[in-house]
Amino acid sequence: MIDLGGAKLDLWKEIFGDENIRHCFTCGRCIAGCPASEARNPLRIRSLVRKVLLGLEDELLDDDTPWSCVTCTRCEEMCPMGVRPFEVGLAVRKWQCANDETRIPPAIVDLYTRGYSMPVGANPDLREELGLERELPLITSDPELHEKWKRVLMSVKLIKDNDYMFGE
Amino acid sequence: MQYGLFLGCNMPAHRPDIERSIRATLTDLHVDFVDVDGYVCCPGFGTFPAVDQDAQLVTNAWNYAIAEEKGIDLITQCGSCYSSMKLGRATLLEKEGTKDRINKLLAVGDKKYEGRANMRHMIDLLYSEVGPERIREAIKTPLTGARIVVQYPCHTRFPSELVGFDESSGRPDRLRKLVEALGATVETYSLEYGCCGGSGGFHKTSAAEAESFTKRKYEAIRDETECEAIVGSCITCVMYMDRVQKLISTEEEKFSYPVFDYNQLLALCMGYPPSQVARISVEPREAFIQKYFG
Repeated sequence: MIDLGGAKLDLWKEIFGDENIRHCFTCGRCIAGCPASEARNPLRIRSLVRKVLLGLEDELLDDDTPWSCVTCTRCEEMCPMGVRPFEVGLAVRKWQCANDETRIPPAIVDLYTRGYSMPVGANPDLREELGLERELPLITSDPELHEKWKRVLMSVKLIKDNDYMFGE
Repeated sequence: MQYGLFLGCNMPAHRPDIERSIRATLTDLHVDFVDVDGYVCCPGFGTFPAVDQDAQLVTNAWNYAIAEEKGIDLITQCGSCYSSMKLGRATLLEKEGTKDRINKLLAVGDKKYEGRANMRHMIDLLYSEVGPERIREAIKTPLTGARIVVQYPCHTRFPSELVGFDESSGRPDRLRKLVEALGATVETYSLEYGCCGGSGGFHKTSAAEAESFTKRKYEAIRDETECEAIVGSCITCVMYMDRVQKLISTEEEKFSYPVFDYNQLLALCMGYPPSQVARISVEPREAFIQKYFG
């Protein structure tokens, strides 16, 4: 039994904002063909939308399932009501991060410090053997531009609020 | 028309041989392209799009702003880069007030995005701007008789109104036609249009479940086709379809299909040496390359 006593009825506005989410009638087309519906904690995107609409704040804060999304975006195509379920999943992740900094993926620090989530530019010898230029024109190749990039990111509220993560 | 080659993160970091094949083949096909100096991560869906909308959009807009300064559009092979940039652009341009808000953040770094620069995917560029006919004429060694299975990148299919270029998102065929232009036979099978399962958080949170998802695809390929090689055009599909085969193989049954990016196969057909354009893989590709390219 779901206890709706503590439900926050306007939660959908806080998490997603788009009125279309209220058109969901739980048909389940978003789940049909969703790879992550087979995850260890199955992502049931329809149930996630329902939790948002019912305002089940505590349950949503603890819900790990949006992080299993494969990002194929198939659910967005399948939804007959324009709910944009893939975007709802990302919005839940964002809302979780805003309420619990331990949810923030450490990979974002790499985007600040070196511009990329992977070690781009670390293989000049291999590049030369392949017939490529040794160096790529990366953000780190231009210190002045890299400084500008960091300033841009630091002007984003969530980044500034968590600036300790970035060594700033 | 000039394009900015948006390499993303995975290709230059892990598979620069694919980058080599893209640069070689586009040059031979007379596609005018330049590097995108100072580009950053698209951003991938597991980074800013999972954390904060302004951080996500300002990153998309930074990359577009660099393209716009040069007056060009971007091209990419990576499905995630393509999708992140296309979905981000739609929000920037269509959601009232968003572009102005993001431009205020960008101004701190002396950048501005007016909304002109756009992103295109490699399959779309090769099919619509070059065309199968010119590709057929440009190759030296056709893949006559080769039986190929194609992996269509989800990120170029859904949602079709924002990212699509194929006539049908359910049954895309442009990558198939590009492979057929190399002289190969493309095999069809029941799970042909299924996701590879390798992107996002699926494998990270649920390795066993994600592997059994992809194993079904490989079992269908085994049972329903005479597949000799798999061809994709998305770095995630290509790397995952390659590395997962060891993970789903057992003592009784090994899966070991060669996996190529489309531009790699095209470069081989154009006569480029495998040591440059098809050098890095988990599953061996030498037998396939030897059979068709000597």
